[in-house]
Amino acid sequence: MSSTLPATELPLNPSVKTPGHAMTTPPRPKAARSGPLFDRIFAWLAKGSAIFTLVMLMAILGSLLVSAWPAIAKYGLGFLASTTWDPVKEEFGGLVMIYGTLMTSLIALLIAVPVSFGIALFLTELSPAWLKRPLGTAVELLAAVPSIVYGMWGLLVFSPVLSTYVQQPLQAMFGDVPYLGALFSGAPVGIGILSAGIILAIMIIPFISAVMRDVFEVTPTLLKESAYGLGATTWEVVSKVVLPYTKSGVVGGIMLGLGRAIGETMAVTFVIGNFNQLDSLSLFQAANSITSALANEFAEAGEGLHQGALMYLGLVLFFITFVILSLSKLLLSQLRKNEGAKS
Amino acid sequence: MTTSEMLLKASALEATRSAKYAKRKRVNQIALVLALGAMAFGLFWLFWILFETIRLGIDGLNIATLTQMTPPPNDEGGLANAIYGSLLMVTLATCVGAPIGIMAGIYLAEYDPKGWLSSATRFVNDILLSAPSIVIGLFVYAVVVSRFKSFSGWAGIVALALIVIPVVIRTTENMLQLVPAGLREAAYALGTPKWKVILSITLKAARAGVITGVMLAVARIAGETAPLLFTALSNQFWTSSLSQPMASLPVTIFKFAMSPYENWQKLAWAGVFLITVAVLGLNILARAWAGKNKG
Amino acid sequence: MQTATTNASKISVKDLNFYYGKFHALKGINMEIPEKKVTAFIGPSGCGKSTLLRIFNRMFELYPEQRAEGQILLDGENLLTSKKDVALLRAKVGMVFQKPTPFPMSIYDNITFGVKLFEDLNTTDMEERVEWALRKAALWSEVKDKLNQSGSSLSGGQQQRLCIARGIAIKPEVLLLDEPCSALDPISTSKVEELITELKNDYTVVIVTHNMQQAARCSDYTAYMYLGDLMEFGATEDIFFKPKRKETEDYITGRFG
Repeated sequence: MSSTLPATELPLNPSVKTPGHAMTTPPRPKAARSGPLFDRIFAWLAKGSAIFTLVMLMAILGSLLVSAWPAIAKYGLGFLASTTWDPVKEEFGGLVMIYGTLMTSLIALLIAVPVSFGIALFLTELSPAWLKRPLGTAVELLAAVPSIVYGMWGLLVFSPVLSTYVQQPLQAMFGDVPYLGALFSGAPVGIGILSAGIILAIMIIPFISAVMRDVFEVTPTLLKESAYGLGATTWEVVSKVVLPYTKSGVVGGIMLGLGRAIGETMAVTFVIGNFNQLDSLSLFQAANSITSALANEFAEAGEGLHQGALMYLGLVLFFITFVILSLSKLLLSQLRKNEGAKS
Repeated sequence: MTTSEMLLKASALEATRSAKYAKRKRVNQIALVLALGAMAFGLFWLFWILFETIRLGIDGLNIATLTQMTPPPNDEGGLANAIYGSLLMVTLATCVGAPIGIMAGIYLAEYDPKGWLSSATRFVNDILLSAPSIVIGLFVYAVVVSRFKSFSGWAGIVALALIVIPVVIRTTENMLQLVPAGLREAAYALGTPKWKVILSITLKAARAGVITGVMLAVARIAGETAPLLFTALSNQFWTSSLSQPMASLPVTIFKFAMSPYENWQKLAWAGVFLITVAVLGLNILARAWAGKNKG
Repeated sequence: MQTATTNASKISVKDLNFYYGKFHALKGINMEIPEKKVTAFIGPSGCGKSTLLRIFNRMFELYPEQRAEGQILLDGENLLTSKKDVALLRAKVGMVFQKPTPFPMSIYDNITFGVKLFEDLNTTDMEERVEWALRKAALWSEVKDKLNQSGSSLSGGQQQRLCIARGIAIKPEVLLLDEPCSALDPISTSKVEELITELKNDYTVVIVTHNMQQAARCSDYTAYMYLGDLMEFGATEDIFFKPKRKETEDYITGRFG
């Protein structure tokens, strides 16, 4: 850490000892002179990095706002309710994409939450001990697979299968039923909101189940034993005691998955169809989401209104994820407050 | 109550309990079977995706893939420029982003962890962590690409670095918090200046976890497509100049996979295979590294 | 080894051996737990008293590496080999743990949790049952106006009495108390001890305690255990004032702890 400096180099200090006593005194800092200065520089660097993060967020919001301004100025909030998207006529409205984003994420949640709960239940209560780690790792690896893999696999492998085994039969069965048939109308080629929703579900299952498993695992054993001691079955213990006990963590995990689903680009773009229509609410028809519209159109979008409209969409997307994150933080702090008041 | 009355009551109670229990038992069994099914469901997708990726990827993989440039449609070629571009951009983005992230993580853990700046930074960091990566791409476009009027490798690097930073901040702070206070106090007691305590003692103690965090960040950006879509764009040809649009593996895959050309699709599978191997490999390495250094 | 013969036995333990994996935790235990009396298990840490208690409601079955051999007769039926489902056994043999464990729900729901598992009662009957259980646990007057509040809003001693009420509500025949006062302050402890002496009018109570004075105060019979063996079993006054074995006397007089 420091060396014994010749006596002439040591700072003026009444308690300074000659090198012969170096072993019995605490070693002096190497360059005592520049010590405090370097300390200040280092501290400044660290603080600056933290401030950099804040600046980054401000900059992102700011630049999005500025770039989206042509569209904001022209349409205001009406942008969110209009389904027209015509680059030629320079008329834009974001409802198609917003609907696509929300719908695919909703489908993803509907599938992913029960499945994740089942996986977490299995890993914590059912799985034999030797299987827990490998299975848990397998699920976590699913989380590491890049989204472009999901997208490409989804388009080239999954959608033909979905088309043959799910969409066509569903259409055959319900095609003529009023209302329900409308949900399944359109060419059943394996793309559309349903397809994108399913692939998103597979993508977010590892995130949600990992969080659920973690919070289930830290439930106090004594609490579970109390429930078992009253004669409850495993299902009753988990659904009536563990789940209420871990509800803040569970909700946090679900929000995390939802956030990912909403912001996901590649897994959705490949299979959603990239078609700006909302005439039919069919799950099978080609549609669009905010991220896929951006991915497909931005690079060639003309400067001005078209780009501005796309930036506006980006701003909306950022806003949605911000709202979800804030809600989950609110829930977590709420629950922590409750716990404190009780004990 | 007489003994016989008591016995009667007890057996009546037992009868009610048993009757109800039959149904509860059934519900329990169904629930457990469904849980097993959910696990199998999850594993099924994992194996199917990995299987197809390996099968179709290896099929399109050969020496040419690694050495030749991206071809025009219906022509033979490889992914060399895309691979190079990805390697270059990911490495440089990590070199830029990781130090900033580590320094900020150091600030959060070692300087004023409870102060307003730290709380604000943590909150903002959470937002950035969950921000859609395509929005980061839009931001860099607005600030870099339109400023310099061209897509470039630099823009891609900036976008990727902005994704690395929040990940590294989170993992660095968590790892530093795990270092016991006694270790720091011992160093301070020796008269060590703060910067040295942090670098030589605390960071060193948390080194394994911090490196794991960086590895995971690298794995994350290696597979990111969206932030590169309108920053580095893509390039059909080889370029080592970062001020030009630069090809990357994910963007090339995107372009090729969405096309109707068979040779492009084959190359896309090969690319997907390479990315998956790299990302999963990095993840497994990061875990093994963390596990090895824990004991 | 002694057995009590003055009352009918609720639980008969015959040649019980218990293993944690390869570790032989309980060695050849023979014991008769008398009905409607309080029996205490005492002994130094690690002697196996909690282990033995947790066999009575087959709690050990939650952990695959734990295994019991021998016979435990509850009302004549061996509960280790019984074909009946363990949930029904646990309805008969209730347990209260070292730390209060209120469920994350209201006081009312805590009590009805167990009842709903086994009986279909209409609202009036259910409310009656809740009041009855809380009265039996000497908690009714303190919580009758706040039944909808969360169980964890109560003090530690009240929470533990809530857990006792919760166990009583399903009308068990045996109550197992595993160091029920170890997390409580002295005032709550004495309240719970008063409760225990009342409970034996209706239930067979077995209590594990590391506090010898508590055993002397509350129990009718005491079992002294050491390193997995049952050293001595007898009426509490006998164990404490006229112990038959030197090991028992050494423990009682505090020669080791």
